[in-house]
Amino acid sequence: MNTLQEQTLLSRREQASLLAKLKEAQKEFGYVPREFMAETARALGLPIGAVYGMTTFYSFLSTRPLGKYVIRICKSIPCCMQNAAMIIDSVAAEIGITPGQNTADGRFSFELTNCIGACDMAPAMLLNDELHGHLSPGKIAEILKACK
Amino acid sequence: MSDVKVRIDGREVTAHEGMTILEAARLVDIEIPTLCHSPDLIPSGNCRVCVVEIEGARTLAGACHTPAADGMVIQTRSPKVLTSRRATVELLMAGHTGECVTDVHTDQCDLRKLADHLEGGAPRFLMRKPRWYPIEEANPYVRRDMSKCILCRKCIGACQEIAKKNVYGIAYRGFASKVVVDFDDPLTTEVCRDCGICIDYCPTGALSKPAKRGGVQ
Repeated sequence: MNTLQEQTLLSRREQASLLAKLKEAQKEFGYVPREFMAETARALGLPIGAVYGMTTFYSFLSTRPLGKYVIRICKSIPCCMQNAAMIIDSVAAEIGITPGQNTADGRFSFELTNCIGACDMAPAMLLNDELHGHLSPGKIAEILKACK
Repeated sequence: MSDVKVRIDGREVTAHEGMTILEAARLVDIEIPTLCHSPDLIPSGNCRVCVVEIEGARTLAGACHTPAADGMVIQTRSPKVLTSRRATVELLMAGHTGECVTDVHTDQCDLRKLADHLEGGAPRFLMRKPRWYPIEEANPYVRRDMSKCILCRKCIGACQEIAKKNVYGIAYRGFASKVVVDFDDPLTTEVCRDCGICIDYCPTGALSKPAKRGGVQ
């Protein structure tokens, strides 16, 4: 590695410390606020784009406040092949929003996520920290009805 | 610095230690296509069109970032290389919209040129929704048409390493990946003044000089 490379690229240690900070913010505020990203960028001497880039890369970091119930539907290949698209559509029909949005009453947030390790139960989703697998439109209606 | 001897497409090449396969090949005028590489920038090796076959290696290697090692036997145009290169270009073309396919600006697009050169057919792959973006003309020095962007990251490198400004970053993931400014904000004159260095490095015309007001581009 030459000196220029050392100067310009995010070192692994910097990346790790940035990710740890973003995870802390997510835990504390429920999302990663803009001001937090700007401040972190300043503190670490990074461009804001690098911090925003890392935040938007990870499915479990959010750039907007989330609702009481966070629905995360897996969009990775095994779930896709088990018709995750149908599940996404049925959730959208149930709560009237598309992925990336919150319901107006703040009850639901709708997200897509990368693999959640439940390929054997595809198509799968997380409702907050609770795993639901072998989904069908009927099951979705049932699960969401239980969310008060 | 000691010399390393490699064999490229059957030709004996003597390169310096630390040279990449691409640099060694260029010593003897063997052309390996590149999109994300520039001799001025740190190799990122992310476009994958410069892949070559190294005897005994499990996978193809990116010529722009793999150092030439003594005794390497390298093929730059084997069937395996060409198949991979064509598929890569096809995939890039599927995420690349713009007038280069039909229009007068064809000559500005290195990707289109490469597709011609490799004699690949029309892409087999479907275009994906997140790859369409409105044209950004907020900045009087740089016009951004991100639908043409193939995410080679040369603009990021040029801004960082040459202009020393570090305006661009890369955000989102997968098909939705995009070169962004700050929080995916417009490129205003507040963050970017008049250097325009990134324009010279863009291989697809995603970055260009805006047309003069009232003039023709």
